Amino acid sequence: MSRSIAYHASPLLASKTPVWRSKFIVGVLAVAFVGLGARAAYVQVIGNEFFQRQGEVRFARTLELPANRGRVLDRNGLILASSVAAQSIWAIPEDVDKNHPRLPDVARLLDLKLPDLKKRLSDEDKTFVWVKRQVDEPVAREVEALGVKGIYLRKDYKRQYPEGEAAAHVVGFTNVEDKGQEGVELIFDKQLSGTPGSRRVIKDRLGRVIEDVRDAIPPQDGPDLELSIDSKVQFFAFQKLRQAVEQHKAKAGSVVVMDVLTGEVLALANYPTYNPNRRENLSGEQLRNRALTDTFEPGSTMKPITAAMALEAGRVSPQTVIDTGPGRYSMGGFTISDTHNYGALTVEGVIQKSSNVGAIKIAQKMSPQEMWDTFAALGYGQKPKIEFPGAVSGRVRPWKSWRPIEQATMSYGYGLSASLFQMVHSYTAFAHDGEVIPATMLKSSEPVVGRRVFSPQTAVAVRKMLQMAAGPGGTGQKAQTLGYSVGGKSGTAHKQVGKGYASNKYRSWFTGMAPIDKPRIVVGVMLDEPSNGQYYGGLVAAPVFSETVQQTLRILGVQPDMNVKPQIMVEAVEESF
Amino acid sequence: MIRLNLMLLLAVLMSAFYLVQTQYESRRLYAQLDRAHSQGKRLAAEHEQLVVQKRAQATSARVQQLAVTQLQMRPAHPGITLYVSDASQVSGTHAGSGSGGSAGPVRQEPVTGSWGSSARSQLEGQP
Repeated sequence: MSRSIAYHASPLLASKTPVWRSKFIVGVLAVAFVGLGARAAYVQVIGNEFFQRQGEVRFARTLELPANRGRVLDRNGLILASSVAAQSIWAIPEDVDKNHPRLPDVARLLDLKLPDLKKRLSDEDKTFVWVKRQVDEPVAREVEALGVKGIYLRKDYKRQYPEGEAAAHVVGFTNVEDKGQEGVELIFDKQLSGTPGSRRVIKDRLGRVIEDVRDAIPPQDGPDLELSIDSKVQFFAFQKLRQAVEQHKAKAGSVVVMDVLTGEVLALANYPTYNPNRRENLSGEQLRNRALTDTFEPGSTMKPITAAMALEAGRVSPQTVIDTGPGRYSMGGFTISDTHNYGALTVEGVIQKSSNVGAIKIAQKMSPQEMWDTFAALGYGQKPKIEFPGAVSGRVRPWKSWRPIEQATMSYGYGLSASLFQMVHSYTAFAHDGEVIPATMLKSSEPVVGRRVFSPQTAVAVRKMLQMAAGPGGTGQKAQTLGYSVGGKSGTAHKQVGKGYASNKYRSWFTGMAPIDKPRIVVGVMLDEPSNGQYYGGLVAAPVFSETVQQTLRILGVQPDMNVKPQIMVEAVEESF
Repeated sequence: MIRLNLMLLLAVLMSAFYLVQTQYESRRLYAQLDRAHSQGKRLAAEHEQLVVQKRAQATSARVQQLAVTQLQMRPAHPGITLYVSDASQVSGTHAGSGSGGSAGPVRQEPVTGSWGSSARSQLEGQP
C-alpha cells in the first residue's frame, strides 16, 4: 500500500501565507453575507411597499369596464335607440407608409377622400390620430384585412336608431362619445349612461390577464328607458304630417298625440326632420323640435278656452245669444272682422262658426285678471313640465298691463303665444272633464290626477261645442273620421313678420279630441306657411287630425263609438254538412 | 440524520415544483376564463346588433311599404273591420274589443275605450 503524498505535511508545499489573509477572506465573505442579509431585509421588509409597487407598475394594469348605455324603448318595448358595437380606426402617423398601394382602398372603404386621409396621417408629431370613428364591423374587418402597417382598430360603440326620422325629434341622438345631445338622449343622459366599473389585473408578457389583484368593481349598465311613445302611432302621425306638409307646400309642421287617461305623449313628430343614423350636414331647420320649441299665436284654437272661462264664471250659458252682426267690431282704432256676417249666434254657434266678434263679446264679460288666471292655470306662459330639453314657455303678458284691445284679441288667439304642445296640453282640460293633467314622456299606466280648472259640466259643454265645430256647419268638418266621433277647433293665424302681420303667410292649426263623449286622445296639428292655395286650418290641418285619430284609436284598441256602414263583402259560402 | 435531511429536501423541492406548476395552471386557466368572458361580451354585443337590425327590418315604415307594394294591402279602417265582443269582458261595463280584421295588436287594457266607468271612479277616489 503506497502512501500518498501528504501535501499538508509536505514541507515543500507548506505555505508561508500569513494567517491574516485567510481571516481577511473569511471577514470579506462574512461582510458580503451580512450585506446580502441587509439587502434582503431592506427589499422584503423595509422597502417592501416600494418594490411591490414597482412590480405592480410593470405588470399590473387597471382596466376600465365601460358601462353599456341603456336602450330607449317605446311603450311596447320596441327599440328606439340602442348602442351596438362598432370599430373605430386609428393610426400612428409615423408608422404609416403614405405611398402604400392599399391606402386608396382604405380611403374608399371608409368613405374618405384620399388627400384628406393623407393629410390626417401627415402629422408625424402625433402618435395617435383617429382615422374614422364608429365604423361598421364588416367594413372595419375589411380595412384590417388590407394590412396597412400603422393602422389599427379599437372597439367602440355606436348608437343606432331603427325608427329613423319618424321619431328623431323625440329620441334625439348622442355624439361620438356616447353623450346625449338632443331629445330624450340628452335629458336622460345621466340615467342612460350608467357607471363604468374597473378591475385591477396582472398581465403576463403576452398581455394576457392572469390574475385579479383585487375584486373587480362591476360596471352598472344604464337601465333601459321606456318612453310613452307608441312607435306605430308615432309613425302614422309622422307619415300623415309629412304628406300634408308636402301636399300643401308648407314650410314645416308638427303633430302631438296625447293619451287623456294617463297624460302620456303617444306621438310627437315634426317635419322637416332628419335621420339620426346619418347626421351629416344637418341644418337647424331639421333639428328643431317645433312642437315644443316654437311658439306662435294660436288664433282661433283659443276660442273654446275663452268660451269655457265665461261658462265657468257663469257669465254665459251655451245657449246665450251673442250678436255678432254686422261681422265687424271696432275698438281702439282697430277693426276686427269675421269672414261672414253671422248675425246673432249662440255661444255654441260662436265656436262652431269661429266668429272673432263673438269671441270678443264673450271675453268682454270677463275681467283681464280672470282671463289671465285661466290662461295660467292651463299652462300658458309657463314652461311645460315635461321631461324634454328646450321646451319654451310662450308668452302671456301680465294682466295688469293689458289694454282693452289686447284683452279682445287674446279672446281669439292673437297677442299671446304658445307652442303646439302647450295647446294640446291645455285641451286636456276639456278632455279630462275639467282637469289639466300632467304630461309625461315616460310610460305610465296609472290614471293621473289632474288639476281642476273647469267644472265637469263646463268641459262637457265645451266638448259639445268642439263637436259642433268639427261637424256639419262647423269650420273643421274635415276632422271627421270614420267610426269615431271627434271634436276640435281649427285655427288660422296670420304670421307675424317684423312688427306687423304678413297678409299672405299663415299658420294653420287644428286641436281636438276623440271619441268626443269619453275622450281617449287629444291630437294637435300645426302647419307653418301652407302655400299651395289652401291655408285654413280646417282644410289643411284637420285632415291630418282625422287620419291620426283614426289610426291611433285603432292601434289603442278603442272600439268605434259611431255606427259604420260595414264595407266588408261577405264572400264565404255557408258550408253544408 | 442525513437521510432525513435528504428526504426533507426532496419534499421541499417537490412542493416547490408543485407550487410552480399550480401557479402556472391557475394563470393559464385564468387567462382562458378571461378570454371566454370577452368572447361572451363580444357575442352579447353581436346579439344586440342583430336585435337592432331585426328591429330595423320591422319598422312600421318598412312594413307598410312592403304591405302596400308587394302584398297590395291597404290601411284598415272601421268600415272594413269586424269588431267582435270578448265574452269575458262583455259582462262588465267595459266594451271589450277584440279586433276582427285590424292589423295592429289590440292591447287588452281594462279601461280601453271607456274611461267613464273605471277610470273615473278611481279618480273620484282621490282626495
